[in-house]
Amino acid sequence: MGSQTAIRKNNNVIPFPYEELIMIKKEMISRNPLNNLGFAGEDILPNGGLGAVLAHAGLGKTALLVQMALNTMFQEKPVLHVSLNDAVSKVDVWYRELFNDISEGNDPAEIAEFWEKIQIYRFIMTFRVEGFSVPKLEERLTDLMQQNIFKPHTMIIDGLKFDESGRGLLFQLKEMAKLFGMRIWFTVHTHRHEPPKEDGLPLSFLHVEDLFDVLVQLAAKGPKVYIKALKGQSPEAKKEALELEPSTMLIQD
Amino acid sequence: MKQDDQKIRNIGISAHIDSGKTTLSERILFYTKRIHAIHDVKGKDGVGATMDSMELEKERGITIASAATYCEWKGHEVNIIDTPGHVDFTIEVERSLRVLDGAILVLCSVGGVQSQSITVDQQMKRYKVPCIAFINKCDRSGANPFRVIGQLRAKLGHNAVAMQIPIGLENELQGVVDLVTMKAVYFDGASGEEVRVSDIPDHLLEEAKAKREELIDAASLFSDELTEAILEEQDIPAEMLYAAVRKGTLKREITPVYMGSAYKNKGVQPLLDGVTHLLPAPSEVENVALDMNNNEAPVALTSDPDKPIIALAFKLEDGQYGQLTYIRVYEGTVEKGATIVNVRNGKKIKVGRVVRMHADQMEDVDSLRAGYIGALFGIECASGDTFVSPGINMTMTSMYVPKPVISLAIVPKDNKSQMSMSKALNRFSKEDPTFKAYVDPETNETIIEGMGELHLDIYVERMKREYGAEVTTGNPRVAYRETITQRADFNYTHKKQTGGAGQFGRIAGYIEPISDAEFIFENEIFGGSIPTQYIPACEKGFRESMAKGPKLEFPITGVKVVINDGASHAVDSSDMAFQAAARGAFRDAYLRAKPVIHEPIMKVVVETPTEFQGPVMGLLNQRRGMIVGSQDEGVMSVVEAQVPLAEMFGFSTILRSSTQGKAQFTMEFAQYRQVPQSVAEKIAAEVAQNKKTAA
Repeated sequence: MGSQTAIRKNNNVIPFPYEELIMIKKEMISRNPLNNLGFAGEDILPNGGLGAVLAHAGLGKTALLVQMALNTMFQEKPVLHVSLNDAVSKVDVWYRELFNDISEGNDPAEIAEFWEKIQIYRFIMTFRVEGFSVPKLEERLTDLMQQNIFKPHTMIIDGLKFDESGRGLLFQLKEMAKLFGMRIWFTVHTHRHEPPKEDGLPLSFLHVEDLFDVLVQLAAKGPKVYIKALKGQSPEAKKEALELEPSTMLIQD
Repeated sequence: MKQDDQKIRNIGISAHIDSGKTTLSERILFYTKRIHAIHDVKGKDGVGATMDSMELEKERGITIASAATYCEWKGHEVNIIDTPGHVDFTIEVERSLRVLDGAILVLCSVGGVQSQSITVDQQMKRYKVPCIAFINKCDRSGANPFRVIGQLRAKLGHNAVAMQIPIGLENELQGVVDLVTMKAVYFDGASGEEVRVSDIPDHLLEEAKAKREELIDAASLFSDELTEAILEEQDIPAEMLYAAVRKGTLKREITPVYMGSAYKNKGVQPLLDGVTHLLPAPSEVENVALDMNNNEAPVALTSDPDKPIIALAFKLEDGQYGQLTYIRVYEGTVEKGATIVNVRNGKKIKVGRVVRMHADQMEDVDSLRAGYIGALFGIECASGDTFVSPGINMTMTSMYVPKPVISLAIVPKDNKSQMSMSKALNRFSKEDPTFKAYVDPETNETIIEGMGELHLDIYVERMKREYGAEVTTGNPRVAYRETITQRADFNYTHKKQTGGAGQFGRIAGYIEPISDAEFIFENEIFGGSIPTQYIPACEKGFRESMAKGPKLEFPITGVKVVINDGASHAVDSSDMAFQAAARGAFRDAYLRAKPVIHEPIMKVVVETPTEFQGPVMGLLNQRRGMIVGSQDEGVMSVVEAQVPLAEMFGFSTILRSSTQGKAQFTMEFAQYRQVPQSVAEKIAAEVAQNKKTAA
């Protein structure tokens, strides 16, 4: 276990049944969309790095990030999920449903037990959009860390409006990520009426694009959903889009 | 038919203690001509302590606090539903909030928003009850309704807007200016019963205009028509303004504020107008039933009086003529002589007397239609039961009753208390399916069981308050359970030879953990190594062993027993012998099956002012809590966590002291989970200690 392990485990330790999780873990690795797109490294993003999933409404931005969060939790690395749209209970349902879909076919009792064991690696924080600010988030986070309640390895911010929030906010977030030694993934809602540039990036995103290390995009063709890398791939990686299974957001078998 | 529904209001009056709820309720009954004289709450000599509402009621023989009181105001039928005085989360509170469609939040113009108002408001929010506010006691020195409006905004996050401004304040309070009609309203006559409308006094005209501007501004968000009228600088008719404010109120996005002094008979009638103008009719509120044929899937109800009946019994009262059952009809029409079915037990009931409660009398009616509240006589049921037309299988409350997670021994102080206590326990168990009471055969103590410390505290308090039963309580005990974690084989022989017929039985097989049942017994014996007639005895022996674990004596769950071999003796084998053999086999295998203790884990939700979010999380974390998340809602924050029940004793006191009394929490059972090793050792030590003291 690395230094990033959830502090929460404290004296409550229940041994992690690593072997039992291996099947699900293997599946998650072999069908992981980002690995398949040729993003290297266990964490994909470096410390202080920013990544984003861009898509129109309804394609599964949140689901993809939740799947990535689950993957991180499987590695016993704590994830802080910040939502500006949904209540804590709703975010929790996202995780449970996706987890159940991913682990479908395994013994329900064991699955329930796994869930108990990995959910300590997750912390949900929700804000009202208008009440969200970096100093506020930093204050909360410091609170959690000082009291040894939670120290995130990865943070997910769902629902931030990129066309409204300026570059300053993202810059502050990047600084905060560096300070706390974590990485942040965002969902970026792109608009259908806005034609993208040649490289696939929407115009409203250009002012902050350079702050990001990794960008991926979800797109629909008919009933199918595809994922494509826009930035941060290793040079030799495949460039074409890959099809995703909508229920798990893993690469289609 | 539909039109009638628009003229019904089912409302509650929610208030901080001492903000004048009793006086206001009484004035409402007086102005709606339900009672014919008003008395002061103060004692006759005008000095000394104020009487509480119970004594007041006793003296006057009225039932302000009956579960539902019916009155009429300007062609509207208003049911005032009593909201329980205690603000904690129990099924009783839940039910009374459920049958309300709207509420009046009473605040004191001097005290303003206090911590109890915060609690009351949070309950309203949880059940999405639209409300209007009444700032009472504007005659008191230091009254400042606009400060209270500021607090409504800042402390409760309400979008509060004044519907009125006061004419004079403190001892110069004369009346109010209605900002919708832009008229001054005065209250003449001995008891303020004559409402006199006249022009706004000159010195208030400017202020009234400004405040009306604010009101229109806030309301325009909810009505395009109103926005248009503003842009075109047209006159704004009262109906248009009411309609817009109403829209916002129903969504809980605006809180209209009325003001006055109930004690000085000022401002009550306009408040009643507000109730009829702004609070919802039953059909405007979404109500949901659960379809029992479809895995309790929620079904939206339509408030249609012609559909089959769905009604909820929300409160029982013992009267001189037997049990009075208060019901709210959600769909259909409950008629005298109709047959209804109690969904909980499938019993058919013929409806006898149907009544509506007034302040001091009851009125027989022929029927209660969808949206109405009334009472039935002589019906045997529990509070929370759903009544339906035959053939319907819907329920208003989930049939799932969680098992109690905590218990408490209670001892009555004297004989009189003993009698009252058993009466009270009988009633409470009827009211609340999660509350149980029994006598422990081993210790002869009366044990009450429930869903949390607070839950039991409330009932102990109610026993004293409502039934005069003084009891002393023991320490609360958590309902731990045991289970096994691996398979263990057994091959056990029970043999006794003490002269005469002996006892003989051998059982072999294994036990293993299961997750989806409490106990399963499987017989895999072929060839009759144990004769078939003894198999039930074997099962009984194993089943009995589940009641108490061999070491810690907690109930055992989640065990599958398989027997696959054994032996019997033609003379010495008997049911008794095989029961004993089964018990022995279980004891033997159980300890090898790595037993563990499971403890109840509670879902704890703390609502706290944001500045205390950090300390609250710290408190939960110290209690072996796993914080699921935090929700930032502006001035308030909600922290959700899973915490072992055993760690939650005394939490309310600690929470209060660490948040200046501004945070509150709810707690409900979530699941059983294995206790960590260190804690298991502590529990084992405690059990051993208790055994020692008992011996």
